[in-house]
Amino acid sequence: MNDAHLDRAFAALADPTRRAILARLALGEATVSELAAPFGLAQPTISKHLIVLEEAGLIRQRRDAQRRPRELVVGGPLEEVDRWLAPFREQWERRLDGLDAYLRTLAPAPSPPPKKRKKPTPPTP
Amino acid sequence: MLHDERTTTTIDRDTFTITFRRTLGAPRELVFEAWTSAEHVVHWWDPSGVRLAECAIDLRLGGRFRFANAGHAHSPPFEGEYTKIDAPSELQFLAMGAAGTVRLEVAGTGTSMTVTIRCANAEHLAKFVELGVADGTARTLENLAAHLAR
Repeated sequence: MNDAHLDRAFAALADPTRRAILARLALGEATVSELAAPFGLAQPTISKHLIVLEEAGLIRQRRDAQRRPRELVVGGPLEEVDRWLAPFREQWERRLDGLDAYLRTLAPAPSPPPKKRKKPTPPTP
Repeated sequence: MLHDERTTTTIDRDTFTITFRRTLGAPRELVFEAWTSAEHVVHWWDPSGVRLAECAIDLRLGGRFRFANAGHAHSPPFEGEYTKIDAPSELQFLAMGAAGTVRLEVAGTGTSMTVTIRCANAEHLAKFVELGVADGTARTLENLAAHLAR
């Protein structure tokens, strides 16, 4: 795995506007003006973000002379980043499942304290 | 069953943080003890469910801990030091280039637990991931997009 590649992807993802742009592009391609409008940002500002995302290999420009829409790169670093986080996440999830299971062997059935009842039990019919 | 099955995991790429939330049936004091006493940790720490071969805990500020399983070669021991001990509500540690925080809140007769692992940077996260990990399942791009949209 190329670390420099991943570093660029992480750096690009570290900005909330760029993450929002990616989220928008995940729904389908969009032009600069289509992206600028919902964010209330000037087109040059959006263009700067798009350059960072392009250089990180997260998005690309589709060859369409007039509109030049941007689209997500499927199977690009975005998936790489995620694939890379998945085992870490799974390891911790398994560990915490283990804690849960272990605690249950210690305290199998915690019964509510009988003295401090706040709500009176409704009378049984 | 009294146990609440709610568990969530949140990944924040912004701060290289992964947060796990769980509701446990056990009381808070016991959960804190399970995190901080070797006799408990040996039973649950290893993700594969195998009892730890080595578990040393020096529970004080700056005190070190070391958790190792039998198959060392594949997964190096998890070791670090405690940076905050506030029984029974909070525990913080530094380990393998990451800062961990365990927060425990009373939730009825059980405990609401939040575990946060914050990596110093992408490089550290890469190293952390390499430790003792088999291949994981890749989440789909759709899942990721949904996550980013949050």
